[in-house]
Amino acid sequence: MKRRSVMSLLAGLSLSALMTAPALAADITVGMSWANYQEERWKIDESGLRAGLEEAGAELVTADAQSSNERQASDIDGLLARGVDVLLIVAWDSEAIIPSVERALAEGVPVIAYERQIEYPGVYYVAFDPVEVGRIQARELVRAQPKGDYVIIKGSPTDQYAHYVLTGQKEIIDPLIANGDITIVGEQWTDGWVPDNAQKNMENILTAVNDKVDAVLASNDGTAGGVVAALTSVGLEGIPVSGQDGDIAALNRIALGTQTVTAWKDARELGRLGAKVALELAKGTAPEDIEGSVVWDKGPKGTAQNASVLAPVTITHENLDVVVDADWISKEDLCAGVTENAPAACN
Amino acid sequence: MTTETLEPPSLAEPTNKRGFNVRTLSLVGLLVVIAVTFHFLSGGLFLSARNLYNLVVQTSVVAILACGMTLVIVTRNIDLSVGSVLGCVGMVIALLQIEIFPQDAAWNWPLTVAIGIGLGALIGAWHGVWIAYFGVPSFVVTLGGLLIFRGAAFEVAQGKTLAPFDPVYRLFGGGIDGALGVGPSWALFAIIMVLYGLGEVLVHRRQMRLGFDSTVRTKLLRFLAVFVVAAAFVATMNSYMKPRSDIGRGIPVPALVLLSVVLFMEFVTRFTTFGRYIFAIGGNIEAARLNGIPTRRTVLKVFIAMGVLCAIAAVVTTARLNAGTSSTGELLELSAIAAAVIGGASLSGGRGTIAGAVVGALIIQSLESGMVLIGASSSQRMVAIGLVLMVAVLADKYLSGEE
Repeated sequence: MKRRSVMSLLAGLSLSALMTAPALAADITVGMSWANYQEERWKIDESGLRAGLEEAGAELVTADAQSSNERQASDIDGLLARGVDVLLIVAWDSEAIIPSVERALAEGVPVIAYERQIEYPGVYYVAFDPVEVGRIQARELVRAQPKGDYVIIKGSPTDQYAHYVLTGQKEIIDPLIANGDITIVGEQWTDGWVPDNAQKNMENILTAVNDKVDAVLASNDGTAGGVVAALTSVGLEGIPVSGQDGDIAALNRIALGTQTVTAWKDARELGRLGAKVALELAKGTAPEDIEGSVVWDKGPKGTAQNASVLAPVTITHENLDVVVDADWISKEDLCAGVTENAPAACN
Repeated sequence: MTTETLEPPSLAEPTNKRGFNVRTLSLVGLLVVIAVTFHFLSGGLFLSARNLYNLVVQTSVVAILACGMTLVIVTRNIDLSVGSVLGCVGMVIALLQIEIFPQDAAWNWPLTVAIGIGLGALIGAWHGVWIAYFGVPSFVVTLGGLLIFRGAAFEVAQGKTLAPFDPVYRLFGGGIDGALGVGPSWALFAIIMVLYGLGEVLVHRRQMRLGFDSTVRTKLLRFLAVFVVAAAFVATMNSYMKPRSDIGRGIPVPALVLLSVVLFMEFVTRFTTFGRYIFAIGGNIEAARLNGIPTRRTVLKVFIAMGVLCAIAAVVTTARLNAGTSSTGELLELSAIAAAVIGGASLSGGRGTIAGAVVGALIIQSLESGMVLIGASSSQRMVAIGLVLMVAVLADKYLSGEE
């Protein structure tokens, strides 16, 4: 059992013998070890996480490793010493973190790998489904352009995430390639996900195929920006292009009609899911009994883990109001420069 | 700055009997070999007007940086921060132009460009002071700069992507309207050729008067070579049409920016005392100091120049992408150093040319583009560029007769 809840139970017993529940949410302390809190998105995750925990009356303590393996290891030691009941980790390095994970599990503290997978048996995994991101991109592109010549602008070759996205894209388009509807006329990885690299690759592919391109599967909104710039310089802007993240610039492109889809990941939702799973595990619920729990074994090592994955939201020209209503983007930013064929969200 | 020296800076450079720089010529030879090889492998795509136009635009950013990097390397220093400085200045320009200043104001983009260039100079001076006055090795200072300014690029807008830029500003990126057009391209060609011809005549007359060995034949041959190459370049750029039309594009704006940078830098290195100081310091800094050369101030100025060039490159990059992103320019320092080194800049200092750096940048980008045209992967490209870097430096070593 968890040290702290046992202690608080004892304390509770000395005050009142009526306290019999194993651990009320109000007694739970949740630890979060950030890899690098400086990155903008984690503040958004934290707002969701904190909201989810506060509603249940649980306490959140956090530490920021500032991009250092050593600091993350000592952060986790510190959180364990504080007696957290459950530990969420955004791993800076998913291999180097394993000794710390082992320590936590040995103390009986459940560990949740948050957004970044830690492939270790017994670790719960909470993330946006990266394979679904790829499926969303391919599905919307195929809807807009069922047949023709496709280009794939992949993410960084050294990032496991980029491989997951590609897996999802392939799931949708491989059957269409097999039956001859779709032809892949060019594909390139984008070193470091840098938009400038995506732009150069796209320009050179356009030269290679003499502009005979009908749709571009770009793996995120940054690379999509590079692709659209390359298409614009040859007057091809407007053909279907995919993305992910819901970048302000990308949502504006969707409103303008130069990008087709973005797989939007509302980090607040993931934070809330993290809070829910953390509370369940702290209360002693078996991982496989958590609502919505699945078995995830798509990592490079193929380790089977219990996981809760969140499907990203498909955002296209038709449902841009979703991101406005969620206060993700202002109407002014979304609709900048939009004149003809304005989406409903801009009216 | 006075023009008190007349010996060409390539005095220490091996020249053939016609007075051409052997090293630069051999680089051009390598470029031709690469181009022709890819032309055949890609089924005639590489030397098409369209690919050459793209190649020029894609090369311009690395070439601008490589010009500055050459000066830095000549003074026996290195600058690892250029990619990060480019990213940071680009983000500041984007933030000011898109979020802070009114978007429709006519003064918006010129002011943001001016602020960006000022910021570039300031960052360069910051590095230069640490290196020249505090005596911290440039490798360490600019490694710090690489981290500081990449971090700063993120902080400027908390990692957000900022878009879109002013339509006029976007012309710097050479997009669909970012070229001179057919008529103005030829006009520019004519003006430059006349000025170049006049310049050669003036230099020739002065050299004769001062008793230098100068032959008309060599100069005429060189003029003709430049004339033919430049005319072919303009004709090629003019023959790449805008989409769905028969309007020729002409010289892309990024190429004009690069041309201005190259002409200015060539002038500085060849005809100013500052230029001579740079080479003197690289040859032997102690001797240079004992001869009364202000070594510290010269190194400081070199880094300021590098910072300004980073800012100019930032303008071209962000205008081209039509967005400011915090990852812009990542790993560009490696391309810039590789271009300068392939172009003949010696890491032991004292040697390097602006023209060589530009050809070096063209070689790297030709390999990058050519391999995408034939469908090679990014990992295969890395292998190829790494090999060419090593072979080019080895060949250079033999050509220069070093042991």
